[in-house]
Amino acid sequence: MEIIEKKMDSCTVLSIIGRLDTTNYSILEKKLMEMIANQQDRIVVECSKMDYVSSSGLRILLMALKKITLSKGKFVLCGLQDNIREIFEISGFTNIFEIHPAQEEAIKVF
Amino acid sequence: MLHYVNFTDPNSEEMLRMLDSIPTCPGVCIFMDINKSTDMKYEGGLKEWGRKLNNTFNVLLRANHLQGNLVKGIGDEMMLFITDEELLNKNSDGNCFGLLSNIFDSLSVIRSHPVAGMFLNCKVALHYCTEVHNITFFEGANDYYGSDIDLTARLMSKSIENRIVLSEKFYVKVQNDLIDLGMDPDSGCVKLISERYIENFKGVPTSTAFRVLDVAS
Repeated sequence: MEIIEKKMDSCTVLSIIGRLDTTNYSILEKKLMEMIANQQDRIVVECSKMDYVSSSGLRILLMALKKITLSKGKFVLCGLQDNIREIFEISGFTNIFEIHPAQEEAIKVF
Repeated sequence: MLHYVNFTDPNSEEMLRMLDSIPTCPGVCIFMDINKSTDMKYEGGLKEWGRKLNNTFNVLLRANHLQGNLVKGIGDEMMLFITDEELLNKNSDGNCFGLLSNIFDSLSVIRSHPVAGMFLNCKVALHYCTEVHNITFFEGANDYYGSDIDLTARLMSKSIENRIVLSEKFYVKVQNDLIDLGMDPDSGCVKLISERYIENFKGVPTSTAFRVLDVAS
């Protein structure tokens, strides 16, 4: 998995490329926790090139959402592939995350 | 490979020859039990009970790509079995560490989900089996028999809501996976695993070592 960070005027976009699984979720966890600790709590996670997410990845995203909600920030997802969207739906994540089809729309909410 | 055993002659020599030739089928046995669903069936009715059971089964099985490993379900309890070969070829886990992590994180997502009343909490037992055979006595069914399957069921008696009980044999596999992956021996949920306990289970001739992993809220 690769994470590409892009700082925008209104938020930070993290693009996840490849698999988010048990062997690498801690990289995303560390990145998100550092950002939250530094009050960088306006985040878009762009998933158009994320082709797999394990339950470990889901847990990290949920943890980040909870922390950012507490700090009154905003945590938005975009570009979910169909297989990833299905996993999000099963896990009840489509009810709790703000999800946009593409990055351009996600950025506009900030 | 599944072996269908069904002979009309109770003294069939062929049956004995067949049973004698069936190889062991090493792999991971998993028991998962959903808590309080029986109470809910009587209190909330089918709609409420069925919805939560559907949602919880989906998170445990579909989100972890384990549907194909379901051997049987009895009410709100499931038995799953993953052979060594199946685990190695799984896109989701690939090894015992991945399997444990994903089950732990599923339980964690269920427990800490912000929308109340969507899922039910679970308890789990995991054991790496060597004394096990892929046999069925019923046409069209699949099953696994052996002393290690019995032991997994016994381990389940040590589990409670939001707890995974893992046999020492499974724990050793997890540790070996971490070495193979070049990862820290305390990676992820492994650092939360308890010390080793020893128990003499009824019907099991030797003492059993196991550990527990609790899912915090």
